[in-house]
Amino acid sequence: MAASMSCKNVFLKISSASRRNLKRSYCQSTNLTNAEVRRKRNEIFETEKKRQLGLITRMEKIQVDVKGPPEDCTLIMNKGISTPFNCSMHIQELLVNRSALALVNGEPWDMHRPLKEDCSIEFLHFLDEDPRIVNKAFWRSCCLVLGHVLETALQNQYYVELCSFPKPHLQSGSFVYDADLKLKDWKPTTAELNCLTRVGYKLHHLDFKFERLEVDASVALDMFKDNHFKSQQIPYIAESSGSKVVVYRVGDHVDISSGPCIASTNQIGRFNVTAAHQIDTPDYGKLYRVQGLGLPSQVMMHYWSYDILRRRAGKFNTAPLPRLNMESSPHTDDNTEIST
Amino acid sequence: MAAPRIGNVLCRISNCNFTSVLLEKINNSRSWTCLQQIRHRQAFPPAAWYVKQKTTDLDENLTKENEEFLDDVMKDVYKKRLDRVFSPLEDGPWKRNDYNKYTRRTGVLAIKIGVVPQWTKEGKRFTTTMLQIIDNHVIRYTPPEKFMKSAGWKPWWGNKYGVAVVGALSTNPRIYTKEYNNLFMESGVPPKKKLTRFLITENAAVQPGTPLNVMHYRVGDVVDCSAKTIDHGFQGVVKRWGMKGMPKSHGVTKTHRRMGTTAGGKFKGGIWKGKKMPGLMGNRWRTARGLKIWRVNTKYNVLYVTGQNVPGNTHGFVRVMDTKLPLRKPAPENPPPMPTWYPEDATEPIEEEYFDKDLFQFTEESVKFAAEKK
Repeated sequence: MAASMSCKNVFLKISSASRRNLKRSYCQSTNLTNAEVRRKRNEIFETEKKRQLGLITRMEKIQVDVKGPPEDCTLIMNKGISTPFNCSMHIQELLVNRSALALVNGEPWDMHRPLKEDCSIEFLHFLDEDPRIVNKAFWRSCCLVLGHVLETALQNQYYVELCSFPKPHLQSGSFVYDADLKLKDWKPTTAELNCLTRVGYKLHHLDFKFERLEVDASVALDMFKDNHFKSQQIPYIAESSGSKVVVYRVGDHVDISSGPCIASTNQIGRFNVTAAHQIDTPDYGKLYRVQGLGLPSQVMMHYWSYDILRRRAGKFNTAPLPRLNMESSPHTDDNTEIST
Repeated sequence: MAAPRIGNVLCRISNCNFTSVLLEKINNSRSWTCLQQIRHRQAFPPAAWYVKQKTTDLDENLTKENEEFLDDVMKDVYKKRLDRVFSPLEDGPWKRNDYNKYTRRTGVLAIKIGVVPQWTKEGKRFTTTMLQIIDNHVIRYTPPEKFMKSAGWKPWWGNKYGVAVVGALSTNPRIYTKEYNNLFMESGVPPKKKLTRFLITENAAVQPGTPLNVMHYRVGDVVDCSAKTIDHGFQGVVKRWGMKGMPKSHGVTKTHRRMGTTAGGKFKGGIWKGKKMPGLMGNRWRTARGLKIWRVNTKYNVLYVTGQNVPGNTHGFVRVMDTKLPLRKPAPENPPPMPTWYPEDATEPIEEEYFDKDLFQFTEESVKFAAEKK
């Protein structure tokens, strides 16, 4: 009885447009929990990753020219397997720990993304002369972590469905994740926000890598079939990037994101969940806009100054509401934007 | 105007530039006041109430605009809190009680500026020490019952005294730890560079957040000043104890500034405890008692007290309290402001300088002496 009631509540929240795409199921469907869905997604990710690795039958070598501190050097790495992280391991521990992104032939590249051809690499960190790309990657990574927090933190009876997050815009003062929390008029207290913060901050010590995987749209749909927001978005995303969807895994949390993310959660020094505001979207109905604030581990800040930023991050973030159409698809990201 | 308001320049005598968060442009450097180098004889474990004060040096790498922004935010935050009239707590201003002969009021934390001569109306010259009461606020008040259970209480005080913690020199919160900054949450003042406590009777309870300035004392009041004496370091017996030593010549070999004999022979049983010997000299708390206040400057919050023997270096912190000498206490018909002076007590406009009636002012005519008859 309780199972059917929860299913019914789920379906009541979605808009009429998306209702057409969904199959109705009543008492037969099991009581969906985030833990179960997470486990399933993880399995699909793991099998897909193994399958893609299995496609490489021959070990081919590529030449990688590494630029910058401590010195320029040339490495011979494995095609399709070696990552910029592996390149940094050959050079210096400092690069291994502090590098958040790599510039491969001028293109921002994840540290754990395999290299495909001969290239030149530059390592980026947060105290660079111009850290704009890394900052955006950091903001994006924090959004993913926030998604992880929302899927993990609530009790089992609340099946959280993440919707999307807007383009990283540091000046807004906070990173954002819009999600359907299945809660009615929830105004989180300071204590509750602290609890959410702690869930996210734990990842700093667990040191999870941000693993990138390019999957086919069908695999992505399989992964996210239990999240009806993402199921709707995947066709649009695949359309713009040739039937491929980029998926990231942090620990056991899997999510869709286009742009590069930082190397590992160890590089997130400070993480705070600052607010949860209710929003009303035309495409997705009523959602919660959960906001957070973070700082990289490399960046030092006195608690007093950080508190000023934290108070500001509690204010409602005026980033655009999640939309379903392609032009403003939240997961496409323009990394060549000049605006800081 | 007694209390220095935001924007007034502090006393700059002897080229010492003191800056306070409230009073002037923020100076982020850590070495502001010339405090004595603390050298202890023994390393003791910290007291139970000890809270780590300074943070480790954070390499924040903020841009100049960001630093200025943070300074503006800080001024804004503290200005708002202190512009409210004496009720940082929701329950409003505390009751003001009367002074009686058993009352102990709170003291203040001052800085010894220097020593200047003054003249009486008879023409007699004497020296006075200038003590500047520098940006004082009451941080905390603990009533006697609570104080008796805390770590800093001594049993011979009984239940007579509560504690007022007074702080001097507001500073940038960004150089201090969270624990230290949180000490000032109750009073709403910026974190202070120096803290001290005064034992006060219950009828002299002061509300946290109250500023203390020079009007807490009047001309003619008698105060006790206690401070750490000048640290001379490890000194020999001649300087430390005033022993005579031995002649410099006439056959004296290798013994010019030594102690000589140590003990009194076998009947006295060897060297007695407390024998004066070389050792660390100075850097001890000493109190100069019964110092009269001759002159008060309200613009710079300076007291002129008798004598040139107020302990400590120039620019050292000095605790100034009402005297405990029974014959020097204020007369019952002329009680001091209780628990401290508030601006609403001012019945007439406050002058910049107040002089004792026996003190010669140079705006008056010169002292005339009758010619001696030969």
